[in-house]
Amino acid sequence: MRSIEAHGLTKEFKVYQSRPGLAGAFRDLLNRQYRVIRAVDAIDLTIDQGEIVGYIGENGAGKSTTIKMLTGILEPTAGELKVNGYDPHREREKFVRTIGVVFGQRSQLWWDIAVQESFRLLQKVYRLPDEQYKRHLGRMVEVLEIGDLLDQPVRKLSLGQRMRCELAAALIHQPPLLFLDEPTIGLDVLVKENIRRFLKEINKELGTTILLTTHDISDIEALCSRVVMLDKGRIIYDGSLTKLRLNWGGGRKIHLDFAKNVQLNELEQRTEGLPVKWEQTGQRQYIAHIHHGELAVSEVLSRVVQYVPVQEMRIEEASTEEIVRQIYQEGMTIV
Amino acid sequence: MFHLHLFIEYFKQYIKTRMAYRWDFVTQFIMNFFYQGINLIFILVVFQHTSSLGGWNRYEVIFIYGYFLIPWAVFSAFFNLWDFNDRYVIKGELDRVLTRPVYSLVQVIMETMTPESLVGGLTGLVVMGYAAWKLDLSWDLIDILLLFLFTLGSVMIYGGIYIALTSISLYSDSKSDIQPIIYNIGNYGRYPVNIYHRVIQFALTWVLPFAFVGFYPASYLLDHDHWKWYAFLTPLVGILYLGFGLMCWNRGIRHYRGAGN
Repeated sequence: MRSIEAHGLTKEFKVYQSRPGLAGAFRDLLNRQYRVIRAVDAIDLTIDQGEIVGYIGENGAGKSTTIKMLTGILEPTAGELKVNGYDPHREREKFVRTIGVVFGQRSQLWWDIAVQESFRLLQKVYRLPDEQYKRHLGRMVEVLEIGDLLDQPVRKLSLGQRMRCELAAALIHQPPLLFLDEPTIGLDVLVKENIRRFLKEINKELGTTILLTTHDISDIEALCSRVVMLDKGRIIYDGSLTKLRLNWGGGRKIHLDFAKNVQLNELEQRTEGLPVKWEQTGQRQYIAHIHHGELAVSEVLSRVVQYVPVQEMRIEEASTEEIVRQIYQEGMTIV
Repeated sequence: MFHLHLFIEYFKQYIKTRMAYRWDFVTQFIMNFFYQGINLIFILVVFQHTSSLGGWNRYEVIFIYGYFLIPWAVFSAFFNLWDFNDRYVIKGELDRVLTRPVYSLVQVIMETMTPESLVGGLTGLVVMGYAAWKLDLSWDLIDILLLFLFTLGSVMIYGGIYIALTSISLYSDSKSDIQPIIYNIGNYGRYPVNIYHRVIQFALTWVLPFAFVGFYPASYLLDHDHWKWYAFLTPLVGILYLGFGLMCWNRGIRHYRGAGN
């Protein structure tokens, strides 16, 4: 079953442009000028039931706009869209029963009433039978460790406490698809851990599809098997995290500390033909920048070690964050 | 049925919220009561100075004003759309509303209702009752049913007009100052329309039908013959305007651009 199926999904916004100066303001009054901005530009996206997909991109890349179309808040300008088999905007009220949404910066809960009252109200909103509601909520309360918070008003909770309650609220009706917009923003490590564990669990046990946007790459590393990267309204990468690292994370570094002095050009001669660049950091210290491939690392080492003894060595892998930053700075070189 | 059930749940939560701030609740309640009392005295004092208005005597004018207060109170108890632009559009609460399986406007109404405003309707009834007693009006059961029906129609007219105005926020998130202007025009409905110029009379009947939230229905209850057909149009005009308001709302929701993050 497909959770999300989008073809040529596009959203355009008309932006009102003002002319400079007072005279310009008068002209604006009579004749407004608009500029059309394509926030999301004909994207194709297919997500299967049970996947956890990370949706990343810089601010203004179109992430939020996409999420808002997928959740039925915004109507697409063009393109086909089916989420859980529904047209999200046209069949909104039926459709939203099949999704859960957490917007990190905005609360889904009622500010002034106790958490459990919010849950109860949501039970009524989603028309959940008592027994099913109690059983499911009980489990979430246990895993998310929010039992002690239930009788507190939301306004008295810390961010981490609130976030865990938000998750429970978003999943109260057991939706097969969950949208998370910056779910771990501003949280400490322990809470992040707890949330990630919980998400993995519901994904495994209930087969919940999860689409999350985040700036925190460690979320993606911990959760997602697949990454969709967005830039200027277009998808620039859609695939596994491993492949992303393999193709762009070639930047492995070997820090070498040799037992005796070596010349830079000697090393270069020895490793000719291999995808490596040498950088001298001390008299005996070098860094080998290796581009792609697992083999290159062992090949470089075997050639060098024969020639000079190595005292100390450390292999460093580029973090996903570095890769992403690099992609945004340099643009996509290989597609 | 589902909406009614949900409405009661929201109402319970509303009461709980108000109870959470205990002193605030008590003082608000007392203040509201005082306010209504002062309002009542003020109305009676002001109208002591008007002897007649467009052929209506003092107590008839008071009676019309009393009626005018009732639909307004019901309307403001359930439609609190005044800060809709700020709270729902700019702060983005509408995003949340749109991800829940209940008609969006119903959710907004349930989230913003202030049932304590209904007390104002009580004031209206007292004012009306006082005038009716002075005028020695006789009431049938039919009249009471009609009062109920007219009130419903008047509330629907308010609802339709203000829902349509609120829908403007869905198109542009800049603040519009139209609501206070319309509010002021609404106040024209509490005086006999025959004192106005014909153009204004026409506008208050067919364009912004505020004559139907006060004068027309009230005058029927006073004098069965004179404005009879206008009074009976009240529920019809209500349905028409509410329908128009809902149409604007639905179109606006399709046009909604969402709040930026």
